[in-house]
Order: sequence, then C-alpha cells, then structure tokens
Amino acid sequence: MSAPHGAAAPTDTERKQEQAEQARPSAVKRLGLQRYAILIVFAAMIVSFGIAIPSTFLSIGNLSNILGGQAVLFILVMAVMLPTVMGDFVDLSLGSSLGLSAMTLAVLNVQHHMPVFLACLAGIGAALVVGLINVFFVVYFDNDPFIVTLGTMTIVQGVIYIICGNNDVGIVSGNLSNWVFNNNFLSIPLEFYYGLAIFLVVWYMLSFTPVGQRALVIGQSREVARLSGVRVNRARSWAFILAAGIAGIAGVAYAATNGTVDPTAGSALILPAYAAVFLGTTAIRPGRINALGSLVAVYFLATGTAGLELLGTQSYIQQIFYGAALVAAVTIPKVNRERIFKRKRAA
Amino acid sequence: MSASAPPAVELRDISKDFGSNRALDSVDLRIGHGEVVGLVGQNGSGKSTLVKVLAGVHEPEPGGHLFVSGEEVPLPLAPGQASQIGLSFVYQNLALAPGLTVLENLTLGQRIAGGARAWSPINWHAEKRSAAVVLDRYGVRLNLDQRTGELAPVDQARLAIVRAAEDLRRYRTQSGYKHSVLVLDEPTVFLPEEEVEHLFDLIRTVTAEGAAVLFISHDLVAVRSITDRVVVLRDGKVVGDVPADEIEEQSLVELIVGAAARPSDSVAAEAARVVEVAGTPAGAADAGGAGGENVVVEHLAGGRLEDLSFEIGAGEILGVAGLIGSGAEDLPYQLFGAAPVDSGTLRLGNQTLNVAGLRPQRSVRERIALVPADRQLLGLSEQLALWENIVMLVEDEHYRGGVFHRGELVALAREAIARFAIRPPDAHAATKTFSGGNQQKALLAKWLLARPRLLLLHEPTQGVDVGARQDIYGFVKAAAALNEMAVLWVTTDFGELAEVCDRVIVLSEGRPVSTLTGEELSDDAITAAALRQIRPAGLGQQEPAGLGQQEEDAR
Repeated sequence: MSAPHGAAAPTDTERKQEQAEQARPSAVKRLGLQRYAILIVFAAMIVSFGIAIPSTFLSIGNLSNILGGQAVLFILVMAVMLPTVMGDFVDLSLGSSLGLSAMTLAVLNVQHHMPVFLACLAGIGAALVVGLINVFFVVYFDNDPFIVTLGTMTIVQGVIYIICGNNDVGIVSGNLSNWVFNNNFLSIPLEFYYGLAIFLVVWYMLSFTPVGQRALVIGQSREVARLSGVRVNRARSWAFILAAGIAGIAGVAYAATNGTVDPTAGSALILPAYAAVFLGTTAIRPGRINALGSLVAVYFLATGTAGLELLGTQSYIQQIFYGAALVAAVTIPKVNRERIFKRKRAA
Repeated sequence: MSASAPPAVELRDISKDFGSNRALDSVDLRIGHGEVVGLVGQNGSGKSTLVKVLAGVHEPEPGGHLFVSGEEVPLPLAPGQASQIGLSFVYQNLALAPGLTVLENLTLGQRIAGGARAWSPINWHAEKRSAAVVLDRYGVRLNLDQRTGELAPVDQARLAIVRAAEDLRRYRTQSGYKHSVLVLDEPTVFLPEEEVEHLFDLIRTVTAEGAAVLFISHDLVAVRSITDRVVVLRDGKVVGDVPADEIEEQSLVELIVGAAARPSDSVAAEAARVVEVAGTPAGAADAGGAGGENVVVEHLAGGRLEDLSFEIGAGEILGVAGLIGSGAEDLPYQLFGAAPVDSGTLRLGNQTLNVAGLRPQRSVRERIALVPADRQLLGLSEQLALWENIVMLVEDEHYRGGVFHRGELVALAREAIARFAIRPPDAHAATKTFSGGNQQKALLAKWLLARPRLLLLHEPTQGVDVGARQDIYGFVKAAAALNEMAVLWVTTDFGELAEVCDRVIVLSEGRPVSTLTGEELSDDAITAAALRQIRPAGLGQQEPAGLGQQEEDAR
C-alpha cells in the first residue's frame, strides 16, 4: 500500500521546491512595493507641493531650509537609532542630553567666556556622562530602559534648569554659528553635511560590518546572540554611550543654529526623532531599524512640514501630519497584505 | 467501535491547497466517542493544516464535510466556532500566561464571554473552591495561587489539558450533546520522555469523562502507548489507519517516511564536506583544529553536578543520559559557559580552560559549539533571513579591508542549505517560516560552519520529524568522523543515544553512575541504568567515580 506513494515522494518534493522558487518573484515584488512606498509618497508630495506653490516650494531657499533646518533632528535620529536597533527600544534621555550639551556649551561660552571649542567638548562630555549613567542602570543592573531613561530624562532636565537659572542663555560665539549654520556649501548650511557624515558612519557600521549584523541579532533575539558568543552587554553599553555622544553633537548644532539656548531645547525633539526612526522601519529594509530608512523618513517629514508651512497652515496642522504619517506608514502595508490574502482565498 | 453509533467527529474528503501546493488531499478521519486517535506524519505532511481546518484557521477546499455526532456542520468553520461544536485545542505553546496564577489561567476561558457577564463581579473565593474540585476530578495536584511560569513544564502541560478538558465538559453539560474532542497538538514536545508518561493518566481520565482525544505527536513511543488507533499522513494523504497495539514501531516509521529509502548516508557525507568548504585558507592553516583533539573534563561541579569527570576521544560521540534533575540537561550549557559552574577544567588537546570562568564569547573563540534545545529562543534569530543565521559565526572572516563581503556569505549559506538538504532552499526567507526539522538543520549548519573542536548538543532532534532526525544523525556522525571532532550528545531520548553514540555515560544526582559501550548500548539498558540509581537517601555515599570505576559499574 505504501510502495506507490513512496516512489512518488521524491518527485513531489521536487515539485514543491520548484513551486517555492517560482513563488518568490511575487513576494519580492510585494516587498519591493512596501520598501519604496515612502519614497513614492515622498515624490508625489514634492510634485503636489510643487504644483500648488511652485515659486516658494521649488526654491533653493526652501531646499536649504529643509536640509539645513532639520539637521539637528537628523543628527538626533542617528543617536536614537543605536540603542533602538539593539532592542533597547527607548532612550528617552537623549533629548535631554541634547539640551544639556547645548546648555553647557552656552553657559560656559557666554557666561564664563570659555573658548567655544572647549565649550563644545564640555557639552558633548556632559551628554556622555548621561549615557554612562544610563549604561550603569540599564545594562549593569539590567533594568527596563524605558523606566530608567524616563528617570534620567527628568533628572537631566532639572539639572539644565539649575545651570541656566531658568533663563534662556545666548548668544553663543559667532565663530561656531559660522562653522555650523551660516556658512554654506552648495547653498546648504554646513551642519547638513555634518549630519550626513554621521549618517554615513552609522549606516556603514550598521549595514556593512559584522558589528552591525551582531547589533541586529542582539536586537532580534538577545539570547541567541549571547549563546553565539556575542558580547551583548558590551555592545548595548556602547550603543547608549555613542548615542549620548551623538546627541551631544546634536546639542552643539542646536546651540549654533539658534544662537540662544532655551532650557526646554531637547525635549521637543525626542518624540519627532522616534517618529522618524519608526517610520524608517517601514522603508528600504521593512521591519528593520535601518539608517537609510531613517534618513528618508526624517526628510520626508521635514519636507511635509515645510510644504504645509509654506501653504500657510498653523503649526498644529504640522503636528497632526507628523503623527498621522507615522501611524499610516506602519498600518498601510498590513491593510494591503490582508486584502491580497483574502482575494487569494476567495479565488 | 460499534457501527451503529455515529462517531464523535468525522471528516470526509477534506482537501486544502496553498497556491498550487496540495497540503491535504481528500483526507478522511473518524474519531469515536472516548477514543484516543494518534495523528502522525513528517513535518509538512499536513497534520498542522488538518488541525487548523478543525480550528477554523484554514478554509478547506469545497467538497469536504464535517460531521459531529452524525450531524453535518457546514465548512469552513468560523474562527472560534470550534468551541461551540465541542472541539478544544491544546497547542505546543500551551497558551498559558506565565505571569498569571494557576487559578487565573484555569478560569481564563470563562472570562472571554462578552456582554453583561464581562461586567459581573468575580467571586474569587468561590472560583477557587470550584477550581480545586476541577483539579481533583482530573487527579491533578497544583497550587492554585502559584505563578504559572514557576510550574514545572509537565505541570504546565497538565494545567493546559485540564483547562481544555473542563471546557469540553462544560460544553457537554450545557449543550446536551454527548460528543467532544480534545485535540492535543504536540503538547509534549518540550517535555522529557519520562514526564510524558505522567500525562497519560490524565489523558485516560479525560477519555473516561467522555471526551475523545486526537493526539498529534512526533513521539512514536508516546503515540503507541496512549492511542487506540494511529492515522498516518504523508504528503497530505492518509497512508495508514491502524490499531496502535498491532503496529510495530519500525513499520510505523516506514509508513511515515515512505518506502523509498532516504539517501541519508550520501546526504551526510555531502554535509560533512561543507565543513571543509567553510574554512577559509587562514582557518585551515591554523593547526589548532583539524588534527583531532581529545577532550577531557575534570572535576566539574556546580548547579546539579557534584563531581563529574569524563573524556571524549577525537571523533567520538559521547552520550550523556539521566533523568530530570540528574544534572545531564545542564551539562552542555555549563561546558559552554552559559550556565553557572563552581569549579572544573576542560582540556581541549593541550589547552586547559577553567570552566568556572568560561563565558560564551570565549567558548566561541575556542571553537566550542552549543546547539541548544530551545532553538526558537536560544538557537536561531527567528526574524532574520535564514542565511543571516547560518553564517552568523563566520561573518568576521568575510569582512576584509573595511568591506563586508555579503555575497560570499550568501553563497556560503546557499551551499550549506543545499548540502544540509534544507527545504525550501530559499536563503532569503525569514527563519521563522521554516519547519522545525529544517530550522534544526540550519542551526547545526550554523555551528558546523564555525569548525568546532567540541560540539555540544542538547536535545538536537526535539520536535523534529523522523526523516530530518535521520539526516541530523548522519550529519553529526559524518562531521565527527571527518574532522575528528569530539561530540557531546545530551538527550532524554535514550533510544537516540543508543543509535548514534559510541559511548554513553549515565548520570544520577550529579554523578556518573555507569558507562555503556558497544553491545551494551540499548534504549532499555540506558533506561535501566538511569532508573536503577535512584536509591533511598542515606544508603551510602557514592565515591567520586573515576573513569575506571564507571566501567565496572556498567557490568
């Protein structure tokens, strides 16, 4: 009874194999569409704004405004990505680290007349200290990063108020502003290129080195990484420290861009930064936190807000755009997939 | 079963296509009242698909029929409808919330109801009293206030089964129907063999209460001892339907795998070659590995181990057997530095490592490999593509001059996929989409690519179908022989140890109590040795046994 079935079995498996290989292109196509969905919407958005308000939107000034004006957020996004990719989903304190760095720089430079270069280093150093504190409590004591960084965020915010005496501090050295914001290359402020440089380093590290691949494994399954010989806690520590350092650099860029630092500087930026990172997971490498996707997401959001601003909308409309884009981006691919499946079932 | 009474559940002519792939092909299945039916087959034979049709997850193709107590129920079933026609399911993951208490998990089913009942207050005292009665009825002893996650795995399985059986009992009393079927979809996979037997009494109680049971498992021993009838699926077709007490295990295996002999030996030899391919020229020149090294473990203590010394020759496969609590199950993790050890040394060739100070990253550098039992949590990163998992340990060798040679890694993974016969051969598919057997092969490939000097295996064929199991035996044997690699094989499947190992050490209470080799190696002999050593406390302290003495004990 079993003999005929047995004889047929190898051909059956071969057939299945062929089918599996044939089935791939459609999956690739579907994934491809999802991959570039944001880019497509991005392009459509540029075209529609371009038609609606060609004289203001399609100008060098606007391009410079979008690319340069969002450089601080862009740098902060690179910082936010590092702990997130390792599965420590939130480092809320990064916004405060940015603020602390900017405020330290401003106070030392303006009130204590420290040379601006040293003041910058001090600012970045202050941010690194916050990173080390996070490492101590999150990695060493194995606490939930959300809770710990909620605490450190609040503490650092308090420290910022202490050192500035609850006042805006300005104006930082014009030299710094020149080197970061006022001087242009190809009509775009230099800080954009600083952000681009940091992006290139982070992108290379995460996507083109074994270190990045290990970070991915840590983020996806920490225990698998540990039993594969990866130094999990060391890598997580570095992520927190590097992230704090990059947030410190973002703080320097913030001080240089605005001239005056107000005590609430960083806290307004942290949520948009997370929005960009999670929006970025729907692009380029869907389902994965990836640098290129974050880059696209930051400038997608920046372009949208800039366009809305030029149309004369209120700033709260721009907030709604931010939130809606994030929720839509993570939802739409799922809606599509469900529909495709149902149609297949019905057929 | 009497011909007059309609069966509790009958499936007729059930087919299911996925695209152009036929997963189920005109399957008929009858389950009588109070009957225990075993459903066996390889991964991909259609068992899970059939269960999912019953659960209302999959829509079968038109033309199939479902009868409960002789009444036809239109297919497809809506999700959740199964519970309204007297079907209840216990899956591999048991669907218990580990953070809730036993009582909360047990009564979870009654909390699902919507409407006004969702707002009525819960009388926890009364709930507790009736829950105690329920546990008593099934002869299960559990502390109702304990956190479920703290229960032993077997008790968690008991809890899940009691909960499902109780749902069925409530269905029978409320609906007035006599039928009900408990579907057990591999709930025993993560249980050690002797614990599985403890579930048999519970299953008999469930059938005595009036429910029928559909028992799906890879564990043929368990299937043969608990079921009345075994249904075998292969390639979506029923190829056998036989009374459990009439069929030999060997003929059951033949039914499952198919008569066409698997080219296991050639597959294994191929796989062994991948180990050679994997080594870069630099790695091959490194004299440390391929020469074949003896592995000597001395005075290992910590965790459950009291004092353990043994030796594995180059190319030898050493099995370690023991009941739960004997210390055998922790040994691979301890030697890898992933579980605590108080003292002990590990000698690889002429290099001596202190096991107490060993960490996984050091072990990987020393080319010690660990294939853990829990491949989904500890072995493979499920979200990553298969190739990324396979090459995880050799990535550094393909990062030269600041350039990550991803193409080389994918090619390497493709080669491994071909040689280890992983199906489907799609390097870019997410790892979670592969069946258990194929995942296990990938896990083995991942570690063999790292050219291990010592391979530590824990339950390497758990939840793996018969065919893939034979492949895995072949791969490990070939790799051990070809590279003169030492292998430590720990499992509670003593039949497996008898089949693949050159020598088996039996542990009891953290000490070696006997060593079996050659002719002595058999499932029964190992079981006897493991059981024999459970003696009343205070009957005399066993001396820390040297290797010579273990040989004596074996006689």
